[in-house]
Amino acid sequence: MADVIFYFASNADTMIATKALKDAGVVSKMIPKPASVQSAANLCVSLDSGAEGSARGALIAAGVSLGGVAK
Amino acid sequence: MKMNLRVRLLGTIIGAIVLFFVFSVVAARLTLGRDLNELGRSEVKSGGQAFDGYWTSHRDQIKLLVTQDAASDSLRKLVAAHDTKTLQDQLGNIARTTGFSFLTVVDAHGRVLARANNASLGTLATNKFVQRALTGETVSTAALLASSELAPEGLADQATSTVKTASGATAGTLDSGLALIAAAPVTDLNERTIGVVYGGILMNHSLDLVDAAKAALGGSTALLDGNAIVASTIKLPDGTIAADLAVPAYDTSVKSGASFTGVQTIGGTEYLSRMEPIKTDQGDIIGALWYGIPLSQITSIINNTTWSLLLWGLVAMVVALMVSIPIVGRLSDALGRRSRQVRSAAKDLGVAIVGSEVSGDHVSQTRATVERSGALIDDLAKGATDPKFAELKSLNDELQGDIIVIDTLSQEMASRMKDAVTRVNELNDVAAGLNKLVSGDTE
Repeated sequence: MADVIFYFASNADTMIATKALKDAGVVSKMIPKPASVQSAANLCVSLDSGAEGSARGALIAAGVSLGGVAK
Repeated sequence: MKMNLRVRLLGTIIGAIVLFFVFSVVAARLTLGRDLNELGRSEVKSGGQAFDGYWTSHRDQIKLLVTQDAASDSLRKLVAAHDTKTLQDQLGNIARTTGFSFLTVVDAHGRVLARANNASLGTLATNKFVQRALTGETVSTAALLASSELAPEGLADQATSTVKTASGATAGTLDSGLALIAAAPVTDLNERTIGVVYGGILMNHSLDLVDAAKAALGGSTALLDGNAIVASTIKLPDGTIAADLAVPAYDTSVKSGASFTGVQTIGGTEYLSRMEPIKTDQGDIIGALWYGIPLSQITSIINNTTWSLLLWGLVAMVVALMVSIPIVGRLSDALGRRSRQVRSAAKDLGVAIVGSEVSGDHVSQTRATVERSGALIDDLAKGATDPKFAELKSLNDELQGDIIVIDTLSQEMASRMKDAVTRVNELNDVAAGLNKLVSGDTE
């Protein structure tokens, strides 16, 4: 876990992404944004690198724009 | 009375129907009044002209009869022989069978040889119609005959009367009679004029012509001697026939030669009437032919139509209400249910908002506590060699991260809840407005 960090444009997008990943069965966790990540949101989502592909697919299916990825 | 949605909707429907019928009735009355008045005027104009034709035909008939008498061989012989007795018998027979009021024969000097009505003789040498006939002309005309001319024929009383106004006041006296007359020369075998047959029908108080015209044309008819009705079929309220009544419209229009069409009140009844002038063969206006229909014939059609419209309007209103009351009721009930749902939802949302605000405050307090706890654990872990301190610090860091996430989410929700508060207040206003509209209540 915590191999990959997905960050988004806003906290609201982060919340929606978390819900979308949960509904898609992707294990993730909402965490405070690390200082190394440049984003307007204070929150981001961490997940295992093995689940990155399915997570991206779930976000696309839910219509959530991914702000960036930190590894 | 509560002005709820049901009352307002039904009131609007009733108001619309009432307005529709009020406008319809007013428009129908105006249109009918105008059109029927035009139709009535056209009818009385036709009737008046037909009466005029009837009058002319009657005059021509008198001329024909007198001319035939004058040309009669037996009558010529009697005139030539001055056989007064036989002449009188023959004239009496002719007058009775033809309906003449008078029939007189004079000799070539205007001296009366015989009269149908009277054994007295006298002279007609000064009579202008006889004078013209003695010159060989056949005279046929309407005429006013003075009572002095009618007296020898025994007709003076029939023509003499007192004329009254509509109010019953005396307007004057009539001492002349309106008559259709004809005078034709009697000639011998050498075509020399040896006498004149002079006859006619006195119209005053004679109903034959007006009755026949009424039977043929309908409506009511009258003959005017000057401005006075002297014969008519106009029934008065007491059941008698109008006669010797002054007609003011004669003096204002017909007397000058114009026809008259308009409303006149005769014997207390309004008539839409037409008057055509009666002229002599010299063009002098001596009276009028009057034709009219009761104005009530027109007004009763208008009134019947108005009542019919009102009745049907009432029926339409009842049917519309029978249809609309259940519809309005269902609509009103549905809106009422929605209104209550909105109010209930708004109330629940209000509770959720308060709960969210209170929860947010509590999360903030918890975050502060966890941060203080973390600072304390950091201090303890600095000089500690026990690996459990490092594990405790790691757990605390994770807990601190989670509480930061929770607090951030809570703040995010608090911000959104502020918008929600505004929306809920709007929903409450909408719900209150709906409730007032549907139920009429202000609460």
